[in-house]
Amino acid sequence: MMYAGIDAGSRAIKVVLIGEDGLEVVAKGQVDQGVEQDRLACRLFEKVLADAGVGRSQVRRIIATGYGRNAVSIADTTITEITCHAVGVRQLVPAARTVIDIGGQDSKLVRLDGNGRVRDFAMNDRCAAGTGRFLEVVADRLGLSLGDLGPMAAQSRSPATISSMCVVFAETEIIGLLAAGRACEDIVAGVQTAIAARIVAMAGRNVEAPVIFTGGVARISGMETALQTALGQPVAISPEPQMTGALGAALLARRQQDSY
Amino acid sequence: MSRRAILALPPRARRPCYCALAGTRQTGLMMLSSIESYMARSEKIIAYTCPYVPAEWIAAHGLRPYRLIPLPREGTPAIPRLEGLCPYARAFANDVAAGKDVDAVVVTTMCDQMRRVFDLLGRRTDVPVFLLNVPSTWQTVAAQRLYLDELKRLGRFLVRLGGHEPTREELARVMLDSVGWVGPPNALPRVWGPLLNPRVSSTDTSLTRGLRTHPTRSDQRHPEGVPLAIVGGPLMQRDRVLFDTVRDCGGQIVLDATETGQRGQPEAFDRRRLAEEPLTELAQAYFHIPDASRRPNSELYQWLKEELARAGARGILFHHYVWCDKWHAEFTRLKEWAKLPVLRLDSEGEGEMNSARVRNRIHAFLETLQ
Amino acid sequence: MSETPRQITLQEWDRGYERLQAAGVSQPTYGGPLGRHVDEGDARLLKLRFDNSPAALRLWNFLLTEEDRLRAARDNGKKLVGAMKDLGTVPVMAYSLDNLVAFYPDGAWWIPCVMEVNSGLLQIADSLGIDESFCPVRAMLGAFVTEAHFPIPDLLTCSVGATCDDFSAIAQRLNGLGYPILWWEIPHRRAPEDNEEGVHLPGGFSAPRGQIEFVKAELERVRIVLQDLAGRSLDDEALARGIVKANRVRELLARLREVVFTATPCPMPALEMLIAEMLAIHFCSDQDETIAVLQKLLDEVHRRVAAGTGYSSVQAARVFWVNPVADLQVMNLLEDCGGRICGTEYLLAHALDPIPPDVPPMEALAQMALADPMVGSAVDRAARIVAEIRRFGAEAVIVSRIPGASHCALEGEILGEIVREECGLPVLEIEVPPLTDAVYPSLRTRLEALVETVANRRSR
Repeated sequence: MMYAGIDAGSRAIKVVLIGEDGLEVVAKGQVDQGVEQDRLACRLFEKVLADAGVGRSQVRRIIATGYGRNAVSIADTTITEITCHAVGVRQLVPAARTVIDIGGQDSKLVRLDGNGRVRDFAMNDRCAAGTGRFLEVVADRLGLSLGDLGPMAAQSRSPATISSMCVVFAETEIIGLLAAGRACEDIVAGVQTAIAARIVAMAGRNVEAPVIFTGGVARISGMETALQTALGQPVAISPEPQMTGALGAALLARRQQDSY
Repeated sequence: MSRRAILALPPRARRPCYCALAGTRQTGLMMLSSIESYMARSEKIIAYTCPYVPAEWIAAHGLRPYRLIPLPREGTPAIPRLEGLCPYARAFANDVAAGKDVDAVVVTTMCDQMRRVFDLLGRRTDVPVFLLNVPSTWQTVAAQRLYLDELKRLGRFLVRLGGHEPTREELARVMLDSVGWVGPPNALPRVWGPLLNPRVSSTDTSLTRGLRTHPTRSDQRHPEGVPLAIVGGPLMQRDRVLFDTVRDCGGQIVLDATETGQRGQPEAFDRRRLAEEPLTELAQAYFHIPDASRRPNSELYQWLKEELARAGARGILFHHYVWCDKWHAEFTRLKEWAKLPVLRLDSEGEGEMNSARVRNRIHAFLETLQ
Repeated sequence: MSETPRQITLQEWDRGYERLQAAGVSQPTYGGPLGRHVDEGDARLLKLRFDNSPAALRLWNFLLTEEDRLRAARDNGKKLVGAMKDLGTVPVMAYSLDNLVAFYPDGAWWIPCVMEVNSGLLQIADSLGIDESFCPVRAMLGAFVTEAHFPIPDLLTCSVGATCDDFSAIAQRLNGLGYPILWWEIPHRRAPEDNEEGVHLPGGFSAPRGQIEFVKAELERVRIVLQDLAGRSLDDEALARGIVKANRVRELLARLREVVFTATPCPMPALEMLIAEMLAIHFCSDQDETIAVLQKLLDEVHRRVAAGTGYSSVQAARVFWVNPVADLQVMNLLEDCGGRICGTEYLLAHALDPIPPDVPPMEALAQMALADPMVGSAVDRAARIVAEIRRFGAEAVIVSRIPGASHCALEGEILGEIVREECGLPVLEIEVPPLTDAVYPSLRTRLEALVETVANRRSR
C-alpha cells in the first residue's frame, strides 16, 4: 500500500507517493499552480500514479497541504504546510532543528524539538518582501532568469542596501540603483540580503542548529549564503527542497493510517 | 442586550455601553434603574475607547458614556491610510469624525498615535475633544495623583458639556450599581465587566489591592477546543470574529487579555473605601489596568503570569495592529518569557481575522499544540 | 587658513589637513585627518561633503571621537549617565557634577548610516523583534548588546509619557533585556485652564503650574539618583552653575543659527549646522569642548559674513527643515539641488532656548522639559515653526519623516496644513531611511522640484 501527499502551494502543486515502509519515495511530480486547483491536483496525482504503475486503490490515504489544500477534493484530510515541511525535512535531515521555508509568496521559520515535532513557528504571509516574489521582481527588472541570480550575486563585493519594506517600492529603489550605475551583482546581492534580513527578524534570537533551508527559493543559489551571513551560522539546503511539504504530508498520511 | 443591538438603535435611545464586550458571544452590560435615572438627565453621549477612561465617572456626571470600539466604517474615510498610522487609531478617528451620535470624545495619552489623533480631531471636527493624561509610570504616588487630578479635570470638562458635578454619594451609587455579569447565577455582581471574583462574598469589603482576581469564563469552555489565550492591544469590532475563527479551527479562547477584553477591566472596588472616597477608589481601580504602554510594563507580565495559569491556556495568540509599536515590540519578549507557544497575528485592520491567511496560521498553531 | 568657503570631500580634507598642519593651525588632542575615522568603519564619510573650515574639521572630529571620550572618562573614574529620550534636561543636571558624564544613547541611530549598515546593529534589533517598522533609533539596542559603540552607562534614565511610541517600546525592550532604567514621566503639555495658574515657558508655550510641579518632582527623583551615583550633593547651587554653563552652549547655538539662517550667501552648510545643533542635547560628552567648538564655528561664520562669502549661491532657495535625517547625506543633497538651510526644528527646539536663570534651578529645568515642542500638540509645534519661518525668512519647508517614528504619520499632515495656512509656503514631506542610496534619485527629484517651485514663486 502507498501513501500520498499533495502540496497545493501558491506557485506549484507537488505530489509525493511513498511506500508502505515510509522510507522510499516511489514517485513524485510537480505542475504549475493554476485557476482550477482541484483539477490540476487530481490530474497530477493520476499522472504520478501512472508513472509509478500504481492503481488508485493501492493508495491508502492522501493528505493535502499548502494554501490550496482545502480545494483538493481527493484528500482524506488536510494538514498545514508548517507541520508537513517540518516532517518532510526531518525525514531527509534527521538532525534538523530549524527549518526555513521560503516560497514564492510566503516564508516560514519552524523550530523543531528534539523529537522532530514543531515547537514554534513564525510566518510572513502578508508581505512579499521576504519571499521569492522579491527575487522574481529583481530578475525581471534586470532581465535575468532566477537561475542566473545566484552566480551573479556571488560576484558582488558590496551588496546594495534596499531600504523599502515593500517590494513595490523596492522595485523603485532597484531602478534608482541602476540609474546610479550600481552593478547588477550588488543589486541582486542586496535583494538576497534584504530577504535574509526579514527571515532574521522573524527568527528572533537563539536559532538552533542545524538550520535547513527548504522551499522553492532554496533552489536559487546564493540565498543560502545570504541566510548564513544574516544568521551568523551555517545553513544547509534540504534535499528536494520543493518536495518537502508533499513528502511530509505523505509521511503524515502513513502515520495517521498507522494510528487508526 | 447584544453589542450589535446596541449599535443598531437610534442614537438617543441607545443604551450606553459601559464596556467593550469580551467576545462575540458575550452580552453587553445591563444597567440598573438607579443608573438609568442618571442617564435620563442628559442625552449627551461621551465617546471614548481607552480602558483608562472610567465610564462610571462620566455616568455620575449625568452623561452617557459610550465606549466606541471602531467597526471600522465603510465608505470614504476622513483620514486615509497613511504609512505609520495605526489602523485602530485611524478607525477610531474616522468613526468620531463621521459619527453624528457623539457629543464629545475623550482620548488618552496611552500612545503617541492617539495623542496625534487628538490633534487631528481638534482640527477636523467640531466635536469637543478631551485628552486625558494617563501616566506611563505607575510606581510613584505622584503618578497616581496625576491620574486622579486628570479625572477631576475631566469632570470639569464634563460639567462644561452640561453634566453636573456628582456628590460623593452619587458617584458611590453609580460605582456600586454599574454592574454587569455573565457567569454562574450564584456569582455576585461586581463592578465593571462581565467577570467575577468568586472569592468575594457579599460582606467582603477588603479586596486584595493590586491583584486582579478574575476567573476564567467557564461558560465559554468547549471541552474539545484547545484552550488559548489572546494577548494584545484593542481589537476592532470586526476583528473579534477571531474568536469564532479560533473555535472553527479547533481552539477556544479561555483568556481574553486584549485591551478590549478582560485585561482592560478595572480592579474590583473596595466597598468601604468606595463609601469613604469614591473618586479615589475609582482612580485606584482603573489606574492599575495592566498594559504594554506602562513603564516599566512589569505589571502586565505579572498579570499575564497569573491569568495564564488560572485559565489553563496552552498557547497564546498575540495580536497587534501594524504600526502599533508598543505591542509589536512585546511579541519577541513575550515569546521569550512565556512558557507557552506564541503565535503572532499582525493585521492592518482590514478584516483579516477571518481570512485564509489567519486561519492557516491558527490551524498550524493548533497542530503544534495537539 | 581662510580659504574660500566651499564643500569638499573627505579625500580633499585629508590633503587639506596637511596644509593645516604646515600652517601651524592648532587642533585639539582629538583632532586629526577625517580619513582615520573611515579606517575605523565610518565608511559613509566617503560619500559626504564637508565644510572646508578648520572649525568644521574640529566639529567633525569632536563628534566622531565621542566614544573615545566616554571610555577615557570611565577610565578616569567618572560615572556615565545614558540620558535617553532626553533632549537636554538630565544632561544639564549630570554635568553640574564634575565626576559625571552624560551622553545620548539614542544617538546610535546614526551609526547604521555612518557605518553604512555594516555595524550589524539593525540586525541585532531585528533579532530582538524590533524590526524596520520601528524608528532607526532601534540601532541603540544593537549598540547595547555589542557594547562596541559606547560603554554601558552606570545609570540609564529615560523620559516617558508624552514621548514617541517607538522609542518608548525600544527602551522597554532594553529594560526587558536586563538593563535597569530610571523612568521619569513628562506629561502631555497643555494650556492652563481657567481655574489654573499658568506659567510661561521658554519658547512661547505655557503650562499649568500643576504640570511644572509634577515635572519638578520627577526631576527630584532623578537628582537623588544622580547624587547617589556621584557620591556628592547636587544642590541648587551646583545646578545653577550647570545651568549657566548649559546656557552658554545654547547662547552660542542661538547666535550661530541667527547668523547662518539670515545671512546671504549661506556661510555654513546644512550638514554642519545639523551636527552643531545636536551638541545642545548632551554636549557630545564634553561640555567645555562643546563651547570651544561652537565658538570656533561662530567665529568662522562671522568672518565669512563680514567678508561677504559663503558656500551657497545667493539665489539658493531658503528652506526650513523639520525633523533630523537618518542619512546625513541628504543634507548635502539639499545644497546640491540648489537649496540652503534657513531654519530648523530637529525635534529639539527647546534645547536651544536659554534655561531660565532667574528662577530656582529645578523649576527652570522643569519648565524647560515641558517646553519641548514634542511634548505638546502638533499644533503647538507648528506654531513655533511658523514663528521661526517668519523670523528667518524661509521660502519653503521640508518635513523629513523618520521611517517608523510614531509621531510622523499624522504630525506631518498637521504641520503641513498649518504652515500652508499661515505662511502660504510650499511644504514637501519626504522620508529619509538610514541609507538613501537607492532612493537618492527620487529624493533628488523632489528636492529639485521644490527649489524650482521656489524659483517660480519668486518670479511671480
